[in-house]
Amino acid sequence: MKYAYFPGCSIHTTAQEYGISCNAVSRVLGIELIEIPEWNCCGAMDAVYAYNPLLSISLSARNLALAESMKMDVVTLCSACFFTLSRANKLLHEDSELKGKVDKLLNDAGLQYTGEVKIRHYLDVLLNDVGLENISKNVKVKLDGLKVAPYYGCMLIRPPNIVNFDDPEHPHSLDKIIEAIGGKNVDYIYKTRCCGASLGFTEGEVMMEMTSDLLLEAKNVEADCIAVPCPLCHFNMDAKQRSIESTFDVKIDMPIVFFTQLMGVAFGINPKELALNKNCVSTDKLFKRFHA
Amino acid sequence: MKRNHVHVITSQMMDKSFLADVMKMRGGKNVLDCIQCGICAGSCPAAWAMDFTPMQIVRMIHLGMKDTVLSSSTIWICASCYTCTTRCPRGIDIPLLMSALKTTAIREKIPARIEIKPKFHKSFADIVQKYGRIHEPELFLKITNKTDVRALMQNAALGWTLLRKGKLKLKAPKVNQKVQWSSLFANVAKEESK
Repeated sequence: MKYAYFPGCSIHTTAQEYGISCNAVSRVLGIELIEIPEWNCCGAMDAVYAYNPLLSISLSARNLALAESMKMDVVTLCSACFFTLSRANKLLHEDSELKGKVDKLLNDAGLQYTGEVKIRHYLDVLLNDVGLENISKNVKVKLDGLKVAPYYGCMLIRPPNIVNFDDPEHPHSLDKIIEAIGGKNVDYIYKTRCCGASLGFTEGEVMMEMTSDLLLEAKNVEADCIAVPCPLCHFNMDAKQRSIESTFDVKIDMPIVFFTQLMGVAFGINPKELALNKNCVSTDKLFKRFHA
Repeated sequence: MKRNHVHVITSQMMDKSFLADVMKMRGGKNVLDCIQCGICAGSCPAAWAMDFTPMQIVRMIHLGMKDTVLSSSTIWICASCYTCTTRCPRGIDIPLLMSALKTTAIREKIPARIEIKPKFHKSFADIVQKYGRIHEPELFLKITNKTDVRALMQNAALGWTLLRKGKLKLKAPKVNQKVQWSSLFANVAKEESK
């Protein structure tokens, strides 16, 4: 199983534990991720798009052109990159005037994109190419009794006319992976509720209000941790958790892990290779009993 | 009982060409399909922080209330979570419409209620054009509100944690220039200024 891998900016910076644990898990499952050489920012959803739509779409298109020459499906870890690349792909298919403009820009830079690339999220690959059976087979330490709140967020599942491998209202892909490694999914009503995303940069208080709902509800249902598939959600819930605690004067102390880290622990991979020490809210207590 | 005059609409508020302009925007083509059912307003997880709900914004577009729409906080607070569009029975791409309205507000230099918002988008785009990827410390320095002491303190603590964990790279990222990075984006700028 070989894929053109698009890490996205945060995998090299604030979400290193996601990329590192994904590599470790991929090795076990025989997934080969070949990084797209010289990839650039995906186009950053609304951050670049609102300032200059053509710039955002060209950023995506350059990545897609580079990936097309590799003749493999593109796989991303970041939900926002997944959405942004998929949206550009769709707009280029539907809007021939836009396609003409972007083609010319790419050609002048010695690139071309015919529109044949398929963009997929790593969760989709796990579920549909690797299969749950193969995942269960590799479990060495069943995560027995670990209560996990599966959090999907937004761009992984919405809107269904752009990203559509899971149900937008009642997604199940992450729940199934957690079950397959022996964890217990808690009933978590905010699994598809927005964390506030990039509002963290500009409307700190609004983001903190939104993210605090997610954290407090996970605490209400007595989850041991929240499992996430997106670097931005992770940043708001994990890195900003201390700020949220001090702003609202509450104690939360909820570990936020990438689902790949959970899988890695279940596969018996050494904590260093899963970068468990990089999460801001400590994961020590959470995983102590599962480490050999 | 007294009537609340805050939301009284007058003919001076209406700009006849605005609806047509919006319908030419990406995301705005089918705004007239809106039946004002309100599922977007009810679903929006950030509506409580907005001055108008997405449903009201669409209705104000119908009425040509350009200034009210473009100076609303709504267009800047939408987090593009797509809950609204997923549920919209008329298939209106509200987040894409909000983005297009933001682009218009930025280009027409309409002040946002929160000054930092247009700056965030411009800084993000500038940094990405410069390096090919985002460089968080630089973005952060450009958009931090230096007068909000509490936010500064929280961010300083956060910055320290991230540095300690090796998650904040002070050195800027670099995409190899051999792939004609700069020419591609110089041409984007030329194309946009046409």
